[in-house]
Amino acid sequence: MGTNRPDFAEFYRRSKDECLFTVLLSVGDRDTAQELLAEAFARAWASWRTVSRHPAPAAWVVRTALNAHVSRWRRHRREVPLADPGAIADRPTAGEAFDSPVDPRIMAALLRLPERQRQVVALRLFLDLDTARTAAALGIAPGTVQAHLGRAIAALRADLMPERQKETPS
Amino acid sequence: MNDDDLITLVREQRGSVEMTTPVDQIIGRGRVLRARRRVPGLAAGALAVAAAAALAVTALLPGSHPAGRPLPAQLTAWTVTRQADGTITVTVRQLRDPAGLQRTLRADGVPASVTFFGHEPRACQRYPKVSAILMAEVFGGHGPPLVIHPKALPHGAGVQLSPGHYPHGAPIALAAELVQASRGCTGT
Repeated sequence: MGTNRPDFAEFYRRSKDECLFTVLLSVGDRDTAQELLAEAFARAWASWRTVSRHPAPAAWVVRTALNAHVSRWRRHRREVPLADPGAIADRPTAGEAFDSPVDPRIMAALLRLPERQRQVVALRLFLDLDTARTAAALGIAPGTVQAHLGRAIAALRADLMPERQKETPS
Repeated sequence: MNDDDLITLVREQRGSVEMTTPVDQIIGRGRVLRARRRVPGLAAGALAVAAAAALAVTALLPGSHPAGRPLPAQLTAWTVTRQADGTITVTVRQLRDPAGLQRTLRADGVPASVTFFGHEPRACQRYPKVSAILMAEVFGGHGPPLVIHPKALPHGAGVQLSPGHYPHGAPIALAAELVQASRGCTGT
């Protein structure tokens, strides 16, 4: 049992921050994301013999954390859709931006993506999974992964680029 | 800026958060989970009962409330309406002006904390006696809009609103939770 500890510790050190950001993207709150992820990593340790042979252990951890979030959500949260789901937020105020661990404008743009596109962005860009592993983790075809990623990048470009271009003197 | 620059910009965000839980703490919890697995069925059974109870309760409760004489506080991003029976209806169209929404709810007698971006206040702690039944009493149906029954809030409890998502296929949503009321969190 003790022999797997060094492997796990190295895996944890290497992947914890990327996993945290990926979960944060879905959960929206850093403390909640960290709590969920700590539990998911603990489960990974408890099943390390199996999880270490998973093609993408980090994706396993993220998925476990998000599944736990769904369970908690069902028991402790009441969620209602926004009246205008396409318009999650305008640019936050300076005070809100100051409190945020990430650039709130980019975070808002990511949160505006449809769920599947956000999952693909999270696995491809934040966990650095290749197309095949992303497809396997999400249970979709590799071509679908590419299509979702392309649409997500186009949406992010439309959201973020105009203002960025204005900031850059030609 | 081309697509590669955009991807780099987005990727840079992941370096902005750090998981601070020590690995020893993770492993300690892992040991507990592994030991618990040797007593099969206990934890899973408890969770299944809780989930089933939640579904049963929410299925039996009405999804709407009789309309009284609304006193609307109309703003672009959200609307708060106090019904004649004391219930508060919150319709959020955009996640903007959380401070204004928080002020309005507090003025209507709901100890509330509203956070749309960034951290929830550190002073906010989950209400420890939360249950599916209490959630249904305080928030009623599943909306939209979000309906709050202030009279159903137990002494010492408040409401926290934050962004949320449906787990699958998900429209952007507003999440409501119960927290311990305190000066630093809900204002009272």
